[in-house]
Amino acid sequence: MDYILQGFKEAIKLIFSLDKEVINIVSLSIIVSTSATILASLISIPLAVYFGIKKFKGKRLFSRITYTLMSIPSVIVGLVVAILLSRRGPLGYLDLLYTKKAMIIAQTLLVIPLVFGLTYGLTKSRGDLIEKVAFTLGANRWDTIILIIRELKIDILVNIATAFSRAISEVGAVMIVGGNIKGYTRVITTTISMMNSMGDYPMAIALGIILLIISFVIHSLIYSYSQED
Amino acid sequence: MEIKINNLEKYYDSRKVLDIDSLTIEKGKITGITGPNGCGKTTLLNIIAGLDKDYKGSITYDGLALNRQVADKMTLVFQKPYLFKRTVYENIEYPLKLRGMNKSEIRPRILDILKRLEIENLMEKKAHLLSGGESQKVALARALVFNPELLLLDEPTSNIDPEAIEILEREILRFNQETGGTVIIVTHNLEQSRRLGHRIIEM
Repeated sequence: MDYILQGFKEAIKLIFSLDKEVINIVSLSIIVSTSATILASLISIPLAVYFGIKKFKGKRLFSRITYTLMSIPSVIVGLVVAILLSRRGPLGYLDLLYTKKAMIIAQTLLVIPLVFGLTYGLTKSRGDLIEKVAFTLGANRWDTIILIIRELKIDILVNIATAFSRAISEVGAVMIVGGNIKGYTRVITTTISMMNSMGDYPMAIALGIILLIISFVIHSLIYSYSQED
Repeated sequence: MEIKINNLEKYYDSRKVLDIDSLTIEKGKITGITGPNGCGKTTLLNIIAGLDKDYKGSITYDGLALNRQVADKMTLVFQKPYLFKRTVYENIEYPLKLRGMNKSEIRPRILDILKRLEIENLMEKKAHLLSGGESQKVALARALVFNPELLLLDEPTSNIDPEAIEILEREILRFNQETGGTVIIVTHNLEQSRRLGHRIIEM
């Protein structure tokens, strides 16, 4: 029990001492996961709204596949991206494996189904009425998509925050495509995993606390915004 | 806008909910549609508005089938209006912006319609937080502001106070008289149909 308490004390010290390594790891995590979440949102949200309001044959099957993909394991995404980016892979000439860009690509692919699925479900349940009103006022398909995004922005922001939480907390994909290289591709989760296997608990606990704080700050900001709105 | 309906049939699963051999809605007139619950009044309105395309038969609008140009000339006010999570002004501004009007044209139009419906004081209020009567006035203002050729109203005065009903009815009449726009109003209230309608259809 003592070593756990000791771990916590040292973790708090590490956080408040603004340890350079901790700052680098946290900054890289935020940059990679934020970039991936923004990219995934830009791609998925308009498409999810479009398919959410569109009536087409096979929509039930489409919905099931969409919801299944939401829980795709991060190691599978990491593996696929690693195969594609490996020297012998079709995108090997880009020389991206074990870089930050590869981590962003992997996390983007990981959270696209999540943002898409959540926004698609939201639009299916609440977009119909907005679409009808938009149509009666003269909106075309693109106007309607923009209107629905604006009307459901708080819920969509919550979806984005959920996607960010998934991105920043996953370990499988970034470990495979980033390689956990110190000072270059090492992020919070890969460090926690490594420190745990090395028995260095203070660092692991410190990064765990920071991960929770990041999540708390983001969700608090969205909560405050939704209250104002 | 003249509406001609021929051999219209609508089914929900295997149940027939609408069966109209022939019906013409005259241009420039107010037509009241009344009838008991479940007789298909709202369904008919949704079909005319182009919101429900799953039917048999034909509908023409001044001789044309429904297309984007036709749809742009008509609008529907729902029984429970959905107002956007913006100010009242921005709600009414929306259809004008869609039609590419510039700000200098938009503002006087909105101020005029707000005055007519006696809701100038609500201009900067968040529309989705208004009462039922206020919401219905804003929804009507949003529909009237672009002078549609066909105005479809689904129970526009249900559950609102008599004073608001008087204002809404007055503005519906004024719209019809001043612009010559065709109006179809679905209502339970036969008295209201008689007050407003040039013609009453009982379903």
